[in-house]
Amino acid sequence: MSPKGMFVDTSICTGCKACQVACKQWNGLAAEPQDFRFDAAQGHPVAVNFTGKSYDNTGRLTATNWRHVRFIEVFSPDRREAHWYFSSDSCKHCADAGCLNNCPTGAITRTDLGNVVVDQATCIGCKYCIPSCPWGVISFNESTGTVWKCTLCNDRIHNGLGTACAKACPTGSIRFGEVADLRAAAAARLAQLQSQGYRTANIYGLTEAAGLNVFYLFLDRPSVYGQPENPVVPQQRLDTSALVTVGGALALGLAALVSFRERGQKAGSEPVEVHHES
Amino acid sequence: MSPETQSPQWMWYFIGLYFFVGGVSAGAYFLGSLIELFGNPASERQRVISRTAYYIAFPLILIAPVLLIGDLGQPLRFWHLMLRADSKLPILNLQSPMSVGSWALLVYGAMAFASFYDNLVADGRVRFAPLAGLYNRIPRKIYAAVGSVAGFFVAGYTGVLLNITARPFWAATDPLVGFLFMASAGSTGAAAVYIALTLRRLAARRRVQAGAAGAAAAPVLAADLEPFEHYDRLLKFVELGLAVAIVVVAGSYAAPLLRGPLALMFWLGAVGLGTVLPIAINWFGNRPGGRTVLAPWLALLMGLLVLLGGALLRISIVQAGQL
Repeated sequence: MSPKGMFVDTSICTGCKACQVACKQWNGLAAEPQDFRFDAAQGHPVAVNFTGKSYDNTGRLTATNWRHVRFIEVFSPDRREAHWYFSSDSCKHCADAGCLNNCPTGAITRTDLGNVVVDQATCIGCKYCIPSCPWGVISFNESTGTVWKCTLCNDRIHNGLGTACAKACPTGSIRFGEVADLRAAAAARLAQLQSQGYRTANIYGLTEAAGLNVFYLFLDRPSVYGQPENPVVPQQRLDTSALVTVGGALALGLAALVSFRERGQKAGSEPVEVHHES
Repeated sequence: MSPETQSPQWMWYFIGLYFFVGGVSAGAYFLGSLIELFGNPASERQRVISRTAYYIAFPLILIAPVLLIGDLGQPLRFWHLMLRADSKLPILNLQSPMSVGSWALLVYGAMAFASFYDNLVADGRVRFAPLAGLYNRIPRKIYAAVGSVAGFFVAGYTGVLLNITARPFWAATDPLVGFLFMASAGSTGAAAVYIALTLRRLAARRRVQAGAAGAAAAPVLAADLEPFEHYDRLLKFVELGLAVAIVVVAGSYAAPLLRGPLALMFWLGAVGLGTVLPIAINWFGNRPGGRTVLAPWLALLMGLLVLLGGALLRISIVQAGQL
């Protein structure tokens, strides 16, 4: 089956955060405990998670935040004019995924629809996948001792539905479908925007990490949206790293032979003496 | 490199310490095996050295699984590293340094135990020896050979493991950290054996001075310690070069080791106390009586500094990627 994914057209996102809510609701994700403090006067928890990043209320992707809407404030030099760039961030479900590649237990796998999922019964919580994601998506859940991330609504998409975030999005900014179709639509949208004067518009996720199944249309450079410009899946460097390390091993082995062989031979041929130790 | 990567939040007293302990064990084992494979089988003094090395290597590697399992989010599932959770068939992911390293650790641990037990039997400290007929020179050499290769893996894979991530500092120091950790494993392993032999030499000397009749076992002569000092000299220079190289190679991502407490740990601890000072002692140290080896107290100091430096090296590099 051809892979399913999502196309996030940030040019029509309004920053409403329906995607965040839908994701939390469908997946039954808890609120972030550190974002709330119990207020005795009011008798219930109140939010204290002011990120200081405009209207961003999640801050980053975590074990229980699988959608993160970024608010990037852009001001003219004299600060008379301002606008936002919005971007709803989530797991990219990379065609070549750093998290999947580094998992030593086979807990992270790719389904027949191309999405990358974590098997909660297999994960041992070694946390090696966490630094292996160039986007810092996959996260550790203290209460379960395992890692969690967006599943691309694995249960929904295997039952003929789309993702919860795509369904909730009121502007159609998040679209679910087959990656090939989405890419065609994205290319058409990009051409339309560029013809309207948005010269810096670009598609992010066509070639990064062998292609991202969840990819974006940005109106400015990816770094403006907090995304790495040239993300590299760590395994690309494995061959060189291994080669240099093996070479080093041979060099060190040689050093040992040099040190011990000459002297060892000399020492070994003497008879054992027990008396003169000064 | 990525602004958004997350730290795995490995505890230094689990993972950083494991990197150190595994390195010392593998380094010591390698020296024991070198003598086992290439040394003079008739030389009692050489056997003392290889035996000391093996007696150090195995107990240390016993600590390793405790440290690793302690850091897991689901410790009781540690066996998933070796067997699939569903089918219980062996699992190996060649793309994952952690997967390959887990198997290397298992093989190395088994070989370290075999060499250890083999020596206990040969020394007569263990009377019951299953399959006693197999305890001849051939299995010992096989353990030594296989164990050494696995030991090199154990010493170096941890550096590759760090480099094959997206954390800016770790990714930027690729491909040198594996080599650096291996060199450090070599010198800390040698230092551990060197300390043990020096203490043994001191004990024998005291017995001779006290007029104790004969020697209970073959003594350690100064000449036995000389190769260690030579080896250490070579390795310490390699380590110094690599420590500087990783900071240079990391370029603008070297910041975690250039500012703050980790910089202090790395430069003052690992490089200063752990590398430069031992090199200085090695080159200029007092070698009494025209001998080629250091005075015992200086030897012990040098060994301990090398060990301290190795531990601080691992901890500072592991934590530098987690800031």
